Amino acid sequence: MTLTTTTPAGSILEVLRGERAARPPRDSESATGLRAILEDGLGEVSNRFTRTSPLVITAANVVRHADAIDIARAPIGRLRGALVAQFVRLIAVGHRSDNAFGDALRAWCVDQSSLELRGILDDLDADGRARLATEVSAHAATLTRALATVPATWSVRTALRSRLPLTGGAIVLSDVVDLVIGSSTESTASTVLVDVTTSPIGSSAERLLRFHALVHTLRTSVAPWRVAMFSTATGELVSDDVDVTLLGAAVDDVLAVARR
Amino acid sequence: MSHEELTVRAVAPDALARVIGDAPHDTFTVTDANRRSLSERLGAVATDRHRRIDAWLVERGGRPATPFSWSPTAARRILGNGALRRLARSRAVTLRDAARDEIDDLLSRAATGHQRAGSLGAWLANRHPAELALVHAGAVDWAGSLADVAASLAADWTVASADAYYDVERARTTLRARRDLVIGRGDAVVRVRGGVPRSSAGPGLRADLAAATFADPEGRAPRRYVGVWPDAGVILAVDGTDANVRAGARDLVRAAIVVSCPGDRLAA
Repeated sequence: MTLTTTTPAGSILEVLRGERAARPPRDSESATGLRAILEDGLGEVSNRFTRTSPLVITAANVVRHADAIDIARAPIGRLRGALVAQFVRLIAVGHRSDNAFGDALRAWCVDQSSLELRGILDDLDADGRARLATEVSAHAATLTRALATVPATWSVRTALRSRLPLTGGAIVLSDVVDLVIGSSTESTASTVLVDVTTSPIGSSAERLLRFHALVHTLRTSVAPWRVAMFSTATGELVSDDVDVTLLGAAVDDVLAVARR
Repeated sequence: MSHEELTVRAVAPDALARVIGDAPHDTFTVTDANRRSLSERLGAVATDRHRRIDAWLVERGGRPATPFSWSPTAARRILGNGALRRLARSRAVTLRDAARDEIDDLLSRAATGHQRAGSLGAWLANRHPAELALVHAGAVDWAGSLADVAASLAADWTVASADAYYDVERARTTLRARRDLVIGRGDAVVRVRGGVPRSSAGPGLRADLAAATFADPEGRAPRRYVGVWPDAGVILAVDGTDANVRAGARDLVRAAIVVSCPGDRLAA
C-alpha cells in the first residue's frame, strides 16, 4: 500500500489516474472465480439466513473489529461524514461553492437524508451547529484543494451503490463508494475507487479498500485498477493497486464476517 | 404454457451481449382480437378516472405508490437518458456537459413559461444551485451506468426517446412500458433499474413486455425484454413469446382490479 502523508500538489485524482500507457490490461477473468469461492464459503452459513431476512455485509462489518474506537461512527461524526460525502458529489460535477456547509446541507436535505441523522441535526443547539459548520467547511476546504478541478472529460460517478445478492439472496454484500473515476468498459484497467473519510486513516483502511475492490469486481465483472482513501482530516492519501492477492484477501474478510 | 425468465449474473463483460444475441427469432404478434380482448377486460374494471398501469404497479401487487414528488433520485433517469442521447448525437460533448445541458434546457423552458406546474422543469426552477448540482451529479451517475450497459452491447442501440404507452380503447386506461435502450429496430429492449431485483421482477418485466407489444403499431413483441440491475450485477430477461405477453397482460389486468377494489385484493 502506498501512503502519501500530505496532499500532493494539484489534484489527487491526477496522481491516482497516472499515465494511461502504464495501466495494465483489464482483469475480467477473476470475478467468476472470486464469486465461486465466495458462494462455496458462504454456503456453509447461508442456511441461517433467508432472502427475506438476509445477512447484509457492509464495509463497516468488515472493518469493525480492526478499529475498536472509530470516532467517525459517533453520531456527530456520521453526520459530518454524510455532509462531506454530499459535498464530494457537488464538486465532482464542477460546482463551485463559497458556503460549503450550506451547500452540503441543502444537498443532503433534498436527497432522502437519513431520518436518524436529521434528528441529530435538529437537536443541535446553536453552538453545536456552528461547530459542525466549521468542521464541515474545514473538511470541504481540504477536499477542494486536493481534488482541484475534476476534468469534465473524465467519467466520474459519486456515491456508487452496490447491493450484491449471494447464495440465492440469503447473503448480500452492500457497499457505497464515494467517488469512482473511469469506466470498466475500457480495454485497460482504468477504474479508480476513492473513499473519502473525515477521520484520520487508521489500520482498517486496507481492509476497507479491498472490500470496495471486491464488491466492484463482482458488480461489474471487471476488477478496478486502484483503490484509494483520502482523509479530509489529515490530507493523507493511501492507495493500492488491485490484484488477485488483494481480492483474495477481501474474500477471506467477507467469509470471516459471515462465520462470526 | 411456460413463461420462464432467464436470470444471468453479470460474471463476464459480454454477458448482456450474449443474452441479447441468444434471443429467439420467432416472436408473438398481437392481433386485433387480442386488442379487443384486453379492452373488454380492462373496460370491465370500474374506474372513476383515467388510470395508468405499469410494471411498477404490477410488482407492488397493485398497491398504490406514495404520492409522487420530484427528487434528485426521481429526476436522474429522465436527465441521464437525455444526456446519453445527446452524447450519442454529438461526441463533442462530455457526459457531464450533456447532463448540464439537459438541466439548462428544462430551466430555460420553465423561465419562458413552457413548463407546467408539477413538471420536472418547474421543480428544477425552484432549486438552489447546490441542489441543482446534486441533481446534475445524479444524472451523470445514471448516464454513466447506462453508457456502460450500452458499451457492453454488440448490436446497434439507441436511447429510447420515451417509454412506450398504449391507450386501451374504451377502458380509460394507459399501459406504460419502461424502456431505456432499444436494440436494433426494437429487436430487444433494455430496461435499467437501481437496487436489487425482487421476486416480483419477472412479472414486472413481463408486464413491460406486454405493454410494449400492445404499444407497437404492428403489435410485434420484442425478441427479448431485458432488465439490468447494475447495482446488483444482475440481468433478467423474458422472451417475446405468446405465453409471456399473455402472462404480462393478465398481470396488468389484475393490477387494475386491485387498484379499483383496494379492500378486496384476494379477488385479484
